[in-house]
Amino acid sequence: MPLSPEPPEDKESTVTQSPEPEEVAPAHTLIPRDAEHWSKPVTRLEVGEVPASAININVTGRRVMGPVQGFGKMWQKTYRIGLGRQAEPREVILEWKKNFSLFWPEGANFYGPVTGIAPGEVALLNLSMPGKLKLSTGVLVLFADDEAFTLMTPQGHMFAAWITFTSLEYEGQTVAETQVLLRANDPLYELALGMGGHKKEDAFWTHTLSSLAAHFGVEGAEVSTKVVCVDKRRQWSKAKNIWHNSAIRSGGYMMGTPFRAVARSFRRPRK
Amino acid sequence: MNTAFDTHVRLRDDVAIMDLIGEINSGAGDRLEAAYSEVKRDDKPVVLLNFKGVDYINSSGIALIVTLLARARNDDRAVLSCNLSDHYKEIFAITRVTDFMTVYPDESAALAGSRPDEASQRR
Repeated sequence: MPLSPEPPEDKESTVTQSPEPEEVAPAHTLIPRDAEHWSKPVTRLEVGEVPASAININVTGRRVMGPVQGFGKMWQKTYRIGLGRQAEPREVILEWKKNFSLFWPEGANFYGPVTGIAPGEVALLNLSMPGKLKLSTGVLVLFADDEAFTLMTPQGHMFAAWITFTSLEYEGQTVAETQVLLRANDPLYELALGMGGHKKEDAFWTHTLSSLAAHFGVEGAEVSTKVVCVDKRRQWSKAKNIWHNSAIRSGGYMMGTPFRAVARSFRRPRK
Repeated sequence: MNTAFDTHVRLRDDVAIMDLIGEINSGAGDRLEAAYSEVKRDDKPVVLLNFKGVDYINSSGIALIVTLLARARNDDRAVLSCNLSDHYKEIFAITRVTDFMTVYPDESAALAGSRPDEASQRR
């Protein structure tokens, strides 16, 4: 039972005690028109080819994590920018998918598949963090069509999240929107979110949307931000997600770089 | 063909049944929220999402379902679902929504609390 239910109001007027609707053929007997827009079932992620300079750890073999599986409070963050009449929503999404990484801030690298952003594809992310840490993580393209696309994060990522990019007509103009539904993945990331992580996240998507707008010739437009705490509870049963923490693992990987270099030199075949 | 989203709330004992109709996309948010407010007002401990009338859900729609799921959990309210097509059962499994929401084949099975179908058993 709910712990603190709101006082019941006039039930008769708000909720109808009506019989079940008439039996009709379910709408879902139709062939799904969106099947090709969704990723196929993915048990473990696999990264395709990436540049040699990229750090490719923390993605291969990981499972995807939605906001349901994360540890921290659940947040819904919506960032929106107006693009005037410079492009139709479909053009915006087409360009956004094509040039996705170009709009990101400096220090954030997105190594997408050569086939572009398409359902089921996995991209590698290398993100510069404080202390010269290069964090390696990734995303799965969960959904993509002409009007929107959604990325889902893997185990170990900062957030258990879905990030949806969409463009739509709103009040007579085209707007571009990024909506992030997230929980911090583990207690360490939850702490980091409270210590400036939220601000960094907001700055990241503000930069991205401003760059996208500039791509369409719109300079100086303001990015509106709406933040809602959907669930203020932390899921302590998910605290063990810290085992996959990509920052800890990336740090360990970086510290091990000199040792790996020495080990490689011993492994070179003698002439 | 686009079908505008709507939802109606019915009551069965301790269960508030939300009949979802049409397309669940980003435009469905306000209506879903209003319907969940009805459920809260009525103070039922279980919400059953009936997808029988749903013909399309995109990723924004799934995000709305997850938001509703989180709100319900925050209120200590269980969420069940029924009448999902095979396609959307698969989507719910990929997105791991079924980790936190039991999927029943139909309304009577959900109300009886009887066997969860394959989608939820996969988790």
